[in-house]
Amino acid sequence: MSRDFPGQDGSPARSAGKSYCHQRGGATGSPVRRGASLAIDVFRARRYVSHVTRSNAIPLAACEDGVLAREIAASDAGEATAAETELYRRFAPRVRLYGYKHLSDRGAADDLAQQVMLVVITRLRAGEVHEPDQIGSFVLGTSRMMVAGQRRGESRRAALHARFDAQDAMVQPSDGVALDRERIAPCLAAVRERERTILLLTFYAEKSTNEIADALGTTAGAIRVGRHRALASMRDCIEARRPS
Amino acid sequence: MSTLQTSCPSFSDLAEYWTTDIVPADIERIERHIFECQRCARLLTEADQLRTAIGDLAQAGAIHAFVTDAVLNRWARDGVRVRSYALGPGETVRCAVWADDDVLVTRLRGDFTGITSVDAEMRFDTGEEWGQVTDVPVRNGATELVFALPASLVRKAPNAPMRLTLRSAVADSTSGNVLAEYVFHHEGALDRRTRDG
Repeated sequence: MSRDFPGQDGSPARSAGKSYCHQRGGATGSPVRRGASLAIDVFRARRYVSHVTRSNAIPLAACEDGVLAREIAASDAGEATAAETELYRRFAPRVRLYGYKHLSDRGAADDLAQQVMLVVITRLRAGEVHEPDQIGSFVLGTSRMMVAGQRRGESRRAALHARFDAQDAMVQPSDGVALDRERIAPCLAAVRERERTILLLTFYAEKSTNEIADALGTTAGAIRVGRHRALASMRDCIEARRPS
Repeated sequence: MSTLQTSCPSFSDLAEYWTTDIVPADIERIERHIFECQRCARLLTEADQLRTAIGDLAQAGAIHAFVTDAVLNRWARDGVRVRSYALGPGETVRCAVWADDDVLVTRLRGDFTGITSVDAEMRFDTGEEWGQVTDVPVRNGATELVFALPASLVRKAPNAPMRLTLRSAVADSTSGNVLAEYVFHHEGALDRRTRDG
């Protein structure tokens, strides 16, 4: 199976896949081909995603999640690469966030995102996802299972790494552009003193709302309001400082 | 994009996901939502980036703020180099920052009974203002406030006496009651090698 991955044997992918989908009709009802190969070719897909050439189709980026999932499930090997990439682009960051919340480790969260999406797309290809329209729930469920598995010390992670090792180069380890210090520092300095203290205690000292309320001699409700106001203020400030 | 657009939580609600006191039911609710809603997934990413950036700034000692012992403990855990001074009302301290300091912390002692917030200002003897903050939260009965400044900022301050005045916070801060004054004889930025040599 691993020989079907594009680029793994030095050859180009056989197809980059369609860059559009049909919100109605289209893939719905198409036969699901089982055992097709998994191919996530980020580079090729990026080239194609924005090129919509058919008037009765819409760009993949505008397709609903379920339509993408059905497209993948119904395609031959290599034909849905762009849809797979789009699905990956949408869900890998969410799995990464989920992983960081539950594993408290950025590297482990990156690994989890890769593993979960490989499993999801493999199972879509194999026709094992019975409700493609509920693909979000399926990705979440897979994430939960894999995190639970990691906690039980299962060897799933290592096995998947070995199996899909060649996919490493296709993974983008972070989402977008991180907030740089120069951009955020003035915004943090601009919030009210009380709110800055709340943000530091919440996100740096990692104290609970009740602990912060005790430390500052106020109520948990006042802390929540202060944090809410501070976050809104910082978002506005950061947005205003966004490079054009 | 989403196939199930249940009502979207606010940015602040999503940011709660990254706090330590969120309850499991809310974690599950947010997770179910973001796996169905791409917009909120992006917002949750933003919230993550924001809180990470706040943590990075704090860890670099690049913040000025009134803090608590919880922040000092975290700095100690993170290996942040903190230079501390403590002084009571009316006292004077000779102070400086060293080349490898990250943060300058001052414990401003006093009787803050009955006070819920204060305003603070720092002025040179010339009357020129160096900085001010308003509405600093005070726990009732507190006997000190902990003020943190980036060492990099203090290094740039002129070598001159500076007076820090705390007032009880009222609508018009200039008319608030003076609670305490502290004087810092700033002696600039020092380098241990130069000093020892």
